[in-house]
Amino acid sequence: MDGSADALIVERVLAGDVEAFAILVERYRDRCARYAMHMLGNREDADEVMQDAFVRAYRSLGRCEDPERFGAWLFRILVNRCRTAGARRARRARTFLTDETALLTASEEHPAEQWAWREEIERALADLRPEQREAFLLKYVEGLGYDEMAELTGVGVSALKMRAMRACDRLRVLLKEVRSA
Amino acid sequence: MDELVAQLRRPVPLDRSFDTRVMRAIRTVARQPLRMISPLMPMPKWRVWSAFAAVAAGMLAVAILPAMKQTQQGRPVQFVLVAPAARTVQVVGDFNGWDATHAAYAAANRGGGVWSVTAPIPPGHHRYAFLVDDSLWVPDPAAPRVADEDFGKPNSALVVEDTP
Amino acid sequence: MRSVWSAWALLLVATAVSAQTSQLERLNTALDPATRRAVLAIVDSARVAKLPAEMLVNKALEGAGKHADGPRIVAAVRALAGELRVARNALGSGSRAEEISAGAHAIHAGVAPADLTRLRHSAVGRELTTPLMVLTDLVSRGVPARSASSDVVMLARAGLRDADFTVYQRSVRQDIESGADPAAAASTRARGAILLRRGGGGPPAPLPGAVSGP
Repeated sequence: MDGSADALIVERVLAGDVEAFAILVERYRDRCARYAMHMLGNREDADEVMQDAFVRAYRSLGRCEDPERFGAWLFRILVNRCRTAGARRARRARTFLTDETALLTASEEHPAEQWAWREEIERALADLRPEQREAFLLKYVEGLGYDEMAELTGVGVSALKMRAMRACDRLRVLLKEVRSA
Repeated sequence: MDELVAQLRRPVPLDRSFDTRVMRAIRTVARQPLRMISPLMPMPKWRVWSAFAAVAAGMLAVAILPAMKQTQQGRPVQFVLVAPAARTVQVVGDFNGWDATHAAYAAANRGGGVWSVTAPIPPGHHRYAFLVDDSLWVPDPAAPRVADEDFGKPNSALVVEDTP
Repeated sequence: MRSVWSAWALLLVATAVSAQTSQLERLNTALDPATRRAVLAIVDSARVAKLPAEMLVNKALEGAGKHADGPRIVAAVRALAGELRVARNALGSGSRAEEISAGAHAIHAGVAPADLTRLRHSAVGRELTTPLMVLTDLVSRGVPARSASSDVVMLARAGLRDADFTVYQRSVRQDIESGADPAAAASTRARGAILLRRGGGGPPAPLPGAVSGP
């Protein structure tokens, strides 16, 4: 595997080495998958959005102002694509754990009770408003700082803090109900 | 909350073909004449508009490919049915809109009860059957079956390859 | 240069519009208004979901060609739309339209979506239309869906090409038509096909009691 810095790989791709882009895909796809799946709750949508994000990133690679931070730049594209997809498909059922593909590929690693807990987590996430879910995932799962999140989403820091806090409160309530049931 | 976050940080299983599919899409983009136009790279206006029109034409070509399946294009495929008592035999299927009046798909009697026609079939997965004497639907005995007897009449399957 | 490209684009648009118009015109003449409305609603939903909607149009035209009544046509189109969706979920959203089409038929025949996914995982990067078509054929001829799926997965994993799958399907068909048990015929021929693929054995021998020859 090529351990070159993102900037070097971006330079190679811009110079015409299209295949080098595969290194970036491999490097960032898992992180993108995690965010897209939890944000959209649907494997098919997440797959489509991720593909879209990578292709858009390739197309506009010449406009990446800081190739050293290609990952963050790609993530911004992904977050925007997730917002667009989420708005367009608000009615599609969240099928994360009823997805047989997920069960087939992960059943060896995750025993049944863990799957049940994950399903409850996904249901709770689905219950959040999209902007709260976005703030929660960016802050607590992706580990971004509020300034980074503000740059990525275009939303002010105080609004992001409020959204993340409300998301946490709501999740605590929902998951406490589940645990005590 | 820590437990929740820990669960959400676990890797999410992904379709193993994801990387392949993305790179396939990337290569398609890379082949287009309009690529990586950067505001930093000044380009004459006429080249920009020509490239844009070329991409639009390419995208339109992709859009009409399904429509092209309905035209008289495709690879020649021979259909054969042994039906000694038949008066007419027609090949009817997806490739001709299930239209039994299509002259290009009317089989000819070759003698000895053998009916055949060679007709252009577009690349793809198709369903079809023989219509004997305008009334009897007969699956192709030599072809794989399709379990879609939605209308009480069986069909056969055919795959025509994309490459010659 | 600019005018040449513009003319080309306009020509393509005109061709696309006329081809799709004739397809829809056939629906207009082939179906009564109520059936046509119901079918078009399903087709539009499928288009939005980026499913191969032309399959649904073909299903409706098939029904019309076979003189089925309106409700039966609508039911068949609706069922197929559902099967296309399930097939795409099972095979992956990056699947080709032909694979989704063949997958939908396999599901209609009784193959479990999980087995389609198994097939996808067993042959990464391989186009699955022909294996799926052969799987549907086996099930249609009485091979239990689960064992047919296992046989086809095994063949795909062994690297059989489309042409080999076709030979395999014909051999199994001949054996079944000669009176062999479908499941036994399918699994026996599968083992033979793999042996052949690995360079062993000669032409597949008929099962005991079956009549050999074309």
